[in-house]
Amino acid sequence: MALLAVQGLRKSFETTEVLKGIDLSVGRGEVLALVGENGAGKSTLMRVVGGYTPPGAGTLAFEGGPLPGGVDAAEARGIVLVHQEFNLAPHLSAAENVFLGRERMRGPFIDRAGMERDTRQALTLLGCSAPPRARLADLAVSDWQMVELAKALNRRPKLLLMDEPTAVLSAPECERLFACIEAFRANGGSVVFTSHKLDEVKRIADRVAVLRDGEIVRIAPAGALTEHEMATLMVGRPLSDLYPEKPGRLSDAAPLLEVEDLRSPGHVRGASFALRPGEIVGIAGLVGSGRTECFEALLGLRPATAGRFRLRGAERALPGAREAWTLGLAYLTEDRKGKGLLLDKGLRENLLLTDGALSGGPMIDDNAERVVLEEAVAVFSIRARDRGAPVRALSGGNQQKLLVAKTLRPGPELVVFDEPTRGVDIGSKQGVYRVIAGLAAQGRCCVVISSEMAELIGLCHRVIVMRRGRTVGEVAGERMTEQEIVRFAMGLEEAAYV
Amino acid sequence: MSDTALVVRERAGLRGALGAAGPLVALLALVLLGAAVNPAFLGPDNISNVLTRSAIVGIIAVGTTFVITAGGLDLSVGSMSALIAGLMILAMNTLLPFLGAGWTTVLLGMGAALLLGLLCGGLNGLLVVKGGVDAFIATLGTMGVFRSVLTWVANGGSISLDFGLRSVARPIYYGGVFGVSFPLLALLAVSVLGEVALRRMRFGRHVAAIGSNREVARYSAVRVDRVRVLTYVIQGVCVALATLIYVPRLGAATPATGLMWELEAIAAVVIGGTALNGGFGRVWGSVVGVLILGLIQNILNLSNLVSPYLNGAFQGAIIIIAVVLQQRRKPR
Amino acid sequence: MKRRAFSIAAGAILAGVLGFAGPAAAEKVKIGISIPAATHGWTGGLNYQTNRTVDAMRKAFPDVEFIVAAASDPNKQVNDVEDLVATHRINALVILPFESEPLTEPVKQVRKQGVFVTVVDRGLSEPGIENLYVGGNNPQYGVVAAEYFKRKFPNGASIVVMRGIPTAIDNIRIEAFQKALAGTKIKVLDMQYANWNPDKGFQVMQDYLQRFSAIDGVWAGDDDAALGALEAIKQAGRQDKIALLGGSGMNRVVKAVMDGGSPIDADIFYPPTIIIPAIGLTVLRSTTQAPVQGRYVLDSPLITKENAGDYYFAASPY
Repeated sequence: MALLAVQGLRKSFETTEVLKGIDLSVGRGEVLALVGENGAGKSTLMRVVGGYTPPGAGTLAFEGGPLPGGVDAAEARGIVLVHQEFNLAPHLSAAENVFLGRERMRGPFIDRAGMERDTRQALTLLGCSAPPRARLADLAVSDWQMVELAKALNRRPKLLLMDEPTAVLSAPECERLFACIEAFRANGGSVVFTSHKLDEVKRIADRVAVLRDGEIVRIAPAGALTEHEMATLMVGRPLSDLYPEKPGRLSDAAPLLEVEDLRSPGHVRGASFALRPGEIVGIAGLVGSGRTECFEALLGLRPATAGRFRLRGAERALPGAREAWTLGLAYLTEDRKGKGLLLDKGLRENLLLTDGALSGGPMIDDNAERVVLEEAVAVFSIRARDRGAPVRALSGGNQQKLLVAKTLRPGPELVVFDEPTRGVDIGSKQGVYRVIAGLAAQGRCCVVISSEMAELIGLCHRVIVMRRGRTVGEVAGERMTEQEIVRFAMGLEEAAYV
Repeated sequence: MSDTALVVRERAGLRGALGAAGPLVALLALVLLGAAVNPAFLGPDNISNVLTRSAIVGIIAVGTTFVITAGGLDLSVGSMSALIAGLMILAMNTLLPFLGAGWTTVLLGMGAALLLGLLCGGLNGLLVVKGGVDAFIATLGTMGVFRSVLTWVANGGSISLDFGLRSVARPIYYGGVFGVSFPLLALLAVSVLGEVALRRMRFGRHVAAIGSNREVARYSAVRVDRVRVLTYVIQGVCVALATLIYVPRLGAATPATGLMWELEAIAAVVIGGTALNGGFGRVWGSVVGVLILGLIQNILNLSNLVSPYLNGAFQGAIIIIAVVLQQRRKPR
Repeated sequence: MKRRAFSIAAGAILAGVLGFAGPAAAEKVKIGISIPAATHGWTGGLNYQTNRTVDAMRKAFPDVEFIVAAASDPNKQVNDVEDLVATHRINALVILPFESEPLTEPVKQVRKQGVFVTVVDRGLSEPGIENLYVGGNNPQYGVVAAEYFKRKFPNGASIVVMRGIPTAIDNIRIEAFQKALAGTKIKVLDMQYANWNPDKGFQVMQDYLQRFSAIDGVWAGDDDAALGALEAIKQAGRQDKIALLGGSGMNRVVKAVMDGGSPIDADIFYPPTIIIPAIGLTVLRSTTQAPVQGRYVLDSPLITKENAGDYYFAASPY
């Protein structure tokens, strides 16, 4: 008998039908992957099973019995959902988060020592070395994911639902997570997870369910589908090659920007590199290697010093944030919701946040702005019915497109893309890649910071690897392979690159 | 994703329409109530009295709108006003023997007041932005400092404007053109300027962006620190402008001058639909909010509607109703 | 003025140092003075008069040490009183309670420790705690106001009244006022709180003028509110038709009464100078063992053009 059996599940929001009759079963000790484009209904399906959203029609059975509604009931039966967005309290410690709402008591007092001991154990199992007493706010985002997972496992689930668990994890961290899933399954637990990374789906899932527009278009053993087949099923049309052709580059072009011995307290301890017009440079490194901080420091977003900084051949001081913007150096943040977009504001305010003024003086020219917005909406094919509605209402992919449009609006010479495709579906990913290649073809310089090595290799001319705040190596051409990058990133090889 | 779409649609409905006009609805209701309790309420003199009186806190509230929209808070405005009033009077009295009781003296006094407002606002801004002191604490501190300095300068008593100067300056409060008083004209000018700056200028967009999410603004190359300091400076200048109007009214500053004005201004701003935690502001709403507060007082004085002991309760109830009426966004 | 404030502080510090260091320490008498901070005009004047008196007393009685504490609310005043006793070890306490109720118990404790207690103006809720009471005559304050209007309008009139800050003394004054008017043809149209504040007085008066077409007289409760009301009356051009009375003897108002020609042609004496005899008597008792126990009630007479000169203190800020 299946552990979970879903039959004829339907769900609508307002007039939009998000799930159109899902039939699905999950066996004991089975790992099932749900794949599909953003908006295909994966998250909604997870939320319904997890008790967060009531089903519209259809039946849910768990261990042979009907499943009463509500999160508490679901968790009591052994179904726990790990959200894509973190559900953690930043000011509490890791242990307090793991036991939040289920504090262990010793008499009238909270058993802190016991909770911390168990948390340490759970985190160690997950290969995470974060101390249980550390405040969440002081931990890296990858640790958050592990704490979230520890919190879920602490509830002793029979069925673990995970929405994009690897989105913020680096390759080695993913490995540990997979090992954990393996152990969980070996003990009879079942897992349903969603992911955009089809290679990992193939590796760890027993079966794969492909969703498209609220319907399951295919369920098959993971071995029976290639990545390309999965992607094609998701999109519903033949998929051309994921990565665009790399634009030719002039390796002898004068550098746009050169920096030596860039430092930023606590994060960057000596980064040196040169960037040329028309090239796409990848930045690889483990989470915590200072990749993001390095470029934030370069663009005036955090305090920094540099041994030497040259822009277009002229030596000068590191720019401030505003100055960098004026100089044509742009940064596309990895933290779309925290640093990229004003979620409560409309498209226009976001697109033209920095320089709304278009009438010459300090006044905003409404008509001109509307024209600019329509242009951007068309160029980046942003789908938004109501231009005035807060961008919170847009889908993740459309938010990302808007953020790209906003970042590119002043026509920068250098664009740093920080994890530009995280949590984005295949179709939108391709769009982002095309934008990057297009910019490079126009002679702009693009930097891509990414944890997905396939992406770096497929997209970039060369990849610079960072480790512990330093640039430790560079690979290009033949040597641009995952193995090479990992060796630099893990510190197995120290190159002469300074 | 889908449940946010739900919220959007809901907002666009009746609630949304009511939300945008909420303060106006409350204002209209109060006007009707006033007319019902006393026929004198709609008389031109009474209307003029209330509008002119409201101009003082009204001008302050315009500045408060900027501070709050940028996610800040300024508790010091009442004390600042007392300090500016006192020092402005002292300045004019000091200049009197040299320049005589004329407009030169008054104008110099006004100039001094504006300069002082600029400095006081700048001090608040630097403490909060550069000093990194929480706005509530920083301005709570300067609130105490400003009032104490005035009390000290005044020796605990009042500082009175020379009687000769008083008659020169008197028209600033009591005069007007075409039946519209100067304070009301000043309020109109300041609020139109404020509304334009907040709604139609890049500066205003940056103010709202900072209040909405300071990090996003910083990453969007907005000069966050400068804009934040500027909001406090605007608040200081608005307080100075309001004080210019206040001083000629009674010709004196006392330790009780401007008592609770900060709360009136903040209440007016929130009644007007500005989000107390920043990100969205509207100047016209704040001005309507001040008028609502002024009308409540007026109606209470014009009638035996409630026992004087319950004045505060009546006022509190109206404030809450006005805010509930225009609840725009639900916390999520 | 500023220099004076500084020298008081310096004097207090110096006195403190000497008090612990010198051999004369045993002889030294410490008097603590606890008053409300300057939250409105009258208390502002009170602070001024207190500092002035203490200054003079220091010169006259070098062996007496004075510690002055001004509190912005009743709770802080309780703390002040406790500090005066616990850390300064005072021999006598002069206190003008912010509010009667909350200060009664703390002052009772002070008295139990053998400290000589002088209560000024606002009495405590329990009789017999203090050794000495020095106060204005609050019922008389209300009666004098009523008498003023009776004399002014023997044939009856319509008047409006502004109350002060809601406190016990305000209630006492208003009750006495109403009682004294009972049975006359003088009609009180309305009463609103104006908090002894000029801005509030202005606002309330503007609205009264709109609400009532015929107002013969206004009792503004105190001089601060009266000055605000005066501007509103002038604005309406009704200064010749309305008799305006304040109270408490602010020097600006006393001067106006003295000079004549103002709508305010009288005042009620209830000045912050009340603290002077209280401090004086306490010092005398501490230095000479003069028998000063009992109740000293100062009159609150009507100030008119004729006697205004006696009540005018040009240097006072109030």
